[in-house]
Amino acid sequence: MTYVSLAKVLAFCSFLCISKDACVEGSRELETKVKMLLRSEEENPKCFLKGTVEIFCFWEEQGEDNGTTDQYTFRFTYLGRNTTVCPVKVLSIGDGKKMYSCENSQVIWYSPLDIKVFRGEQLIYERSSLFTDQMFLLDPPGNMTLRRTAKPGQLKVTWLPPDFIDDGLLYEISYAVTGSQMGKREQVRFKTDLLLQGLQAGINYSVKARVRPQSSGFKGWWSAWTDPVTVILPNETDPLIVSMSLIISLILLLLSLSILLTHRSFLLKKLWPVIPSPESKFPDLFTVYKGDFQEWMNHNPGGMRWIPAYYYTDEPVAPLEVLSEINIGAALPSLISPHRDPQAMEADGARQLDEGDQVLNRVSPQRWSELQHEAWMLEHLRNLPLHPPPLSQSSLLESHDAYVSLNHSSQKPKDEEKAQEREGDEMEDILEESLPLQTLFAGAGTRSSTSHSDLGSLQQSSGSGRLSSQCSFEYPNQTWPPNGPNYTYMAVADSGVSMDYSPMSSSQLADTERKHKPRVIYTNELPLIHKHKHWPLTRQPTDSDCRPLGHQA
Amino acid sequence: MFRSFGLFTVLLMVLEWTSPGLPSPLWPICDLSALDHFIKKAQEAEAAMRSCKEECLLSVPLTVPQPSVDYNAWRKKDSQQQAQEVQSGLWLLSQALQSLKASISNAALHSHIDNSLGNIISIGQVLRSLSIPEYTPTGAGSASQDTWRVSSASTLFQVHFNFLRGKVRLLISHAAVCQQAFS
Repeated sequence: MTYVSLAKVLAFCSFLCISKDACVEGSRELETKVKMLLRSEEENPKCFLKGTVEIFCFWEEQGEDNGTTDQYTFRFTYLGRNTTVCPVKVLSIGDGKKMYSCENSQVIWYSPLDIKVFRGEQLIYERSSLFTDQMFLLDPPGNMTLRRTAKPGQLKVTWLPPDFIDDGLLYEISYAVTGSQMGKREQVRFKTDLLLQGLQAGINYSVKARVRPQSSGFKGWWSAWTDPVTVILPNETDPLIVSMSLIISLILLLLSLSILLTHRSFLLKKLWPVIPSPESKFPDLFTVYKGDFQEWMNHNPGGMRWIPAYYYTDEPVAPLEVLSEINIGAALPSLISPHRDPQAMEADGARQLDEGDQVLNRVSPQRWSELQHEAWMLEHLRNLPLHPPPLSQSSLLESHDAYVSLNHSSQKPKDEEKAQEREGDEMEDILEESLPLQTLFAGAGTRSSTSHSDLGSLQQSSGSGRLSSQCSFEYPNQTWPPNGPNYTYMAVADSGVSMDYSPMSSSQLADTERKHKPRVIYTNELPLIHKHKHWPLTRQPTDSDCRPLGHQA
Repeated sequence: MFRSFGLFTVLLMVLEWTSPGLPSPLWPICDLSALDHFIKKAQEAEAAMRSCKEECLLSVPLTVPQPSVDYNAWRKKDSQQQAQEVQSGLWLLSQALQSLKASISNAALHSHIDNSLGNIISIGQVLRSLSIPEYTPTGAGSASQDTWRVSSASTLFQVHFNFLRGKVRLLISHAAVCQQAFS
């Protein structure tokens, strides 16, 4: 090469590469386009229009010993025109590969082009009927920007078109979540902006674009993608939605408050029902006595009135046997005796009998009966907590049975009847209601089965009736004080609600004791109301309490 | 849509013929969709003529315009020169198609020829709407540098197709009237 040629080349290079950046940028774009065509095109040489009127053709060859560039001839031939020879250049691209290229700025559109490549005299590549107006490979769109819109989830993408003579450009916008391979693509023609919709707030999106000529006059390949632009949509709330939500919530709050205020009492009853408190029925029980019912009972004698009669409904049925007593004096030691052993009681009976006679002589009969009854009750009630009676339901006359003995003067021997008759007249305070009982049991043996369960006599009794009571707890073995072979008994079963009366004779009693067969002939359901005025209240009643039905004369 | 546009142009032609005196001004047709329609039809005709070999040979070569465009040279020409080149090319194509029709008896080819002739007329109306003056080359301009001589029908339709999508489209897309409307 002469010095003139070298100067021309240097001037040409300096002219083409005014700045280092421009040359570098141009070479980078060319390298990108070459790589794209290497992937998409199979035939050689691969040709595309670098700009508008400059064609770039190239091909790759493997190997080192492929010869110099002078061996290659690159010829362009347009229809109806003369053939043009293009100088071939070679470039090493590594891996033992070389790239041969040819650039020609004399481009003719809309005319078929024939290309032939010779290595020496050998035709190595040939392509015919090429149209350069369909070989455009444009630069990617430039200056792509993303801008939020007034509506949430939208982005407006704008870009600048590449340098091209025609408006018939097709753009493709690709947007996806950053780092994800799945995305969406949208194409737009004749415009340089696109509105992306359906984007989610708070997610990092990556947007890129490319372009290709797509019209009847010009066609080409897709350009390279632009550098991706990332954007994160902020969490936006529509002010209209926020305001409407606030208004609706305020309205609901006001409605709920109004409902609560108007139906306050109803809601309070439903949600917090009033728990009945028995404090009004038990004055000072919880305030003074701190809930100690026993203490309250001791200091409040009238409280027992409020105890319902059916409090003892859970008690087992306590059959009550009404007996007619021969000798009150003989019964007294047994009543007041603390011993529970009936056999011991019987042994002491004779001894106490004489003692009892002496006592009886000093006390009036009427008062004697009252004292007898009260003493018996006191003893009974005092002993009950300490000596819980054994429960047994095998017989009507078992431990929890209550017995009422009758003063049956007709069954007594005549001498005894006379002796007691004087005392009995004075002691007698038989009410009209008690007469039927005495009448029923007049005579020996069995009696009729009529009964009167009027407990008014018990209520009005002053303790001077002819009936005495014995608590069966004192006779755990259910033995009965000997009252004579002709003694008539009436078994009364008291369940608290009904009273069952069954007349029984002494012989029947023995049979009952043997066979343990309760005999209930008739029943009478009346509330058992214990309102005896002289009822000693020394303790809290329990289920094992006896309920005497009769009264003493 | 394209048929309606063709009917519209035919209507314009009829109105021009029926109305004596000065032709009424037409609304400028800057949209290239109509031209694209004609170009598509020309491409179909060119594809149909490709299979016609011996039957479509011409005994007498026909003069047609050169469809090739040297864009650097094209840009250097003024609008009038470009207009004359396009108008004369359309006239030459019309003449060649008529001569081809007379020399070919194939009915299918006749339909393509007729369609092409109609499209050329419609394109003339479009150019007229863009205030591009008509031009009829004289006998001396037929053998200019901008013409070819073809001997087959396939080559003729190929030239027809490329001419429409080339020079004609460049002229319409860069029409001054359209540039003034979008500016």
